[in-house]
Amino acid sequence: MGAGVGCPREGKVYAGNLNVAAKRAREILYGKLKLGEVVDWATTFSLWPVHLMTSCCGAEFAATWSPRFDAEQYGALPWISPRQTNFIIIEGTVTRKMACALRVTYEQMVHPKFVIAMGACALDGGLFYNSYNVVKPWEVVPVDIYIAGCPPPPEALAKAILDLRKKIREKKMASRWLTEGWREDREYLVPKEDVCRWWRP
Amino acid sequence: MSLQALAEVIKERLGTLAKEVRIAKGHVEIVTEGGRLTEAARALKEMGFDHVKSVTAVDYPKEGKIRVTYHVSSYLKEDLSKYIVGLSVDVPRDNPIVETLVPLWNSAEFFEREVFEFFGVHFKGHPDLRPLLLIPELAEKRVLRKDFVVREEGIYEGVPHEYK
Ligand code: SF4
Repeated sequence: MGAGVGCPREGKVYAGNLNVAAKRAREILYGKLKLGEVVDWATTFSLWPVHLMTSCCGAEFAATWSPRFDAEQYGALPWISPRQTNFIIIEGTVTRKMACALRVTYEQMVHPKFVIAMGACALDGGLFYNSYNVVKPWEVVPVDIYIAGCPPPPEALAKAILDLRKKIREKKMASRWLTEGWREDREYLVPKEDVCRWWRP
Repeated sequence: MSLQALAEVIKERLGTLAKEVRIAKGHVEIVTEGGRLTEAARALKEMGFDHVKSVTAVDYPKEGKIRVTYHVSSYLKEDLSKYIVGLSVDVPRDNPIVETLVPLWNSAEFFEREVFEFFGVHFKGHPDLRPLLLIPELAEKRVLRKDFVVREEGIYEGVPHEYK
């Protein structure tokens, strides 16, 4: 704490001293984990959600990254450009026109990529279960985690990010995507319906 | 100016252009006939109503008509800016064509596109009449007309008889 005093926490992992942190991380990881596991471990700390706000759940998404709930502590930072992100949170209802935007955004993200579907609307339509203009996100992109609620509270979204991190490490989602190029739970990566058909000139 | 006074002024100004001028809940409602919509709108514009707040439509399947309503108000005239005036026109349901008001009020452009896609009302002379929110296949089904049926869950099946 006091300046000038020999730091009592020398050798622990903390962000203030990058050299010490790197040395310590190497001690923990080197020779103990397989390369794939290191990839999975590292991916859990660099989830970059793209900000594609499709509906009102976006307000809770914003609250999750506000100082009070601070989801950045889980290593996830929202970013605007899909080309530099690997993680998409579907924030609520997806209309037919937004389904195309969702698919195009998903295609642009870098591998390995993950999807969280947020809210009752993303599960089965929610309030708009019988609407003519709503599509279910699981018909458009493969979803890893669903969150129930209308809207789900920020805590639920933070929990979902933690669950996703657990899933990435347990199921080796990142490393298997890199080594095998596919995942067996991703059999239908391409939606059956052409979601962008209205857009063709 | 009170709402009553505004209604009087409008009645005087429009004369025979308006079939009916009445005070609805908090706003003045004018009904015109098909061919006189543009003239009535021009008269309103000369009074100082300078923008369209919304364009909407109501479907009356039994009477076989669709009523298209323009809600207009004013930004620049202070005494008019407190009020909203609804300018309505009835068109036949099987062939709904309305003269566009975009040349008069620019802000009507997107609203007319919405009414076009949801009710199938054609606006003659509109600069860019394409569906706005819906995909074209859906827009062809005229989804906000009363005869478009959406899927319903049988959640009311257990309702007792006396409440039916
Ligand atoms: S689940 Fe509720 S809050 Fe979320 S998008 Fe649907 S209606 Fe909005």
